[in-house]
Amino acid sequence: MPLLQLEGVSKKFGQVVVAEEITFQLDQGAAVGIVGPNGAGKTSLFGMISGDIRQDSGRILFEDQSVGSMTAAVRCRMGMGRTYQVPHPFERMTVFENALLAAQQGAQAHGQKSYDLAFAALERTGLAELANRPAGSLGLLHRKRLEMARALATGPKLLLLDEIAGGLTDPEVNELIVIIRGLRDDGIAVLWIEHVVRALLSTVDRLLCLASGRLVADGPPSEVLASEEVRKVYLGGKIINEAAI
Amino acid sequence: MIWVNVLIQGILIGGFYALFACGLSLMFGVMKVINLAHGDIAVVAGYVAVFLAPQLHIPEVWSFIIVVPIFAVAGYLIQRTLIQKSIDRDPFTTLLVTFGFSVVIENLLLEIYTANGQSVNIGALIGDSIHVSNVIYISYISLAVLVTAVVVLAALQLFLSKSGTGRLIRAVADDREAAQLSGANYRHIFGIAAAIAFATVALAGIAYGMMTEFAPTSGGVNLLFAFESVVIGGIGSLWGTLIGGVLLGIAQQVGAHINPEYQVLAGNLLFLVILGVRPHGLFGKKTAFS
Repeated sequence: MPLLQLEGVSKKFGQVVVAEEITFQLDQGAAVGIVGPNGAGKTSLFGMISGDIRQDSGRILFEDQSVGSMTAAVRCRMGMGRTYQVPHPFERMTVFENALLAAQQGAQAHGQKSYDLAFAALERTGLAELANRPAGSLGLLHRKRLEMARALATGPKLLLLDEIAGGLTDPEVNELIVIIRGLRDDGIAVLWIEHVVRALLSTVDRLLCLASGRLVADGPPSEVLASEEVRKVYLGGKIINEAAI
Repeated sequence: MIWVNVLIQGILIGGFYALFACGLSLMFGVMKVINLAHGDIAVVAGYVAVFLAPQLHIPEVWSFIIVVPIFAVAGYLIQRTLIQKSIDRDPFTTLLVTFGFSVVIENLLLEIYTANGQSVNIGALIGDSIHVSNVIYISYISLAVLVTAVVVLAALQLFLSKSGTGRLIRAVADDREAAQLSGANYRHIFGIAAAIAFATVALAGIAYGMMTEFAPTSGGVNLLFAFESVVIGGIGSLWGTLIGGVLLGIAQQVGAHINPEYQVLAGNLLFLVILGVRPHGLFGKKTAFS
């Protein structure tokens, strides 16, 4: 049974097409990257999967259940965790409270179990020592980690990562890659939008390319990056740091 | 000595303003809804206390024990239906809908109970006061309302900062999308916040009926004072609302002492000065209730 299926998903904002007949599926525990130029509809696609925005047509199934009419909160409880491109921590709460809220709401854990879950998510993302700091005082790397920690604390089967490596230095990206690989190895499926292709190549075994709301390529990363179609949508623009590490 | 009395009376009435205003502040802070029917809801609570509670053989003075829970439930239901539907459309719709709600309530009350003034019967307590000196009297009921206001605000502050549900309310007030992605059903949290707002304003409505007379149109003027308390104190700060209410009360009493006609004017002037000098209020914060 595939974990996530999209069948002919389409969405327009006025005249702007952000998704046109997008169809693909994701297996349990798979790690898949999404690339595409700015404005290709990558974040909107995440919005439709996680329930922030509703598709105009087509179906989205999670564990064979159609999630089209469910709110983002329900989808989160079913096992979808999402991080934002620009981190949205609850700034006045401590790092721990941020994770605790996710554990109590997303994973529906209570009492000691919710504390354990929240703390495990912080340890996993290297934030344990910062647990009592207000989230608003964190720098970008730690905010990105906190996004992951919150998504993890909800006990996800699928993690939607939106440009988690964007704006970070190379060593910082490497630290995140180690964390994400660890999650993948634990059987959490990862769907990852990223411009830093090097980071993707080190982790995913399949790549999707979106352009103007269409899925223009889907396959092993090396084939996708080599394809004429993908080269064309980047208008000859060089893909950043192409070489794998 | 006479000025001490002015100060004391201002503080006493300020407690009532804060009690009246905290629900307004909560609704705005959490769901960005300016509830224009807030004052009318208080008036409805007064009518329920005067006319329905005695039918259940509950003395008017104890009516809040049943009225407050009823209004909490009603607040939750009205939020999940009427108010949430308008939030889903756009912010202006919430203004129109709550304004319409206010008009409907006032006219229904006029139709059913006429424009006659009513008050909540508290027996001999109404006239009793602590006699401090020749010019200083502290009425028991005003003192009771001030104490209630402080207890309610303290409890609400504690609830918001310490409890799990309070944490959820703060999270949703901060960023409802992010809260949803953590699995929180923000509509339910909005409902809880509205329940608290309705419960506190029902209590304030009954308190008002105990202190003075009310009529179907009493909501509007109290709503104005509540707005002023919230803005003076700063949106999103409960203690700020208390200070705002007290400052407004003192300004009004000072104005009234100079000339009874200046009572409301003095309050409005203070409000204007604060708006000009510190538009985000004395204790305003970027994020509500944190």
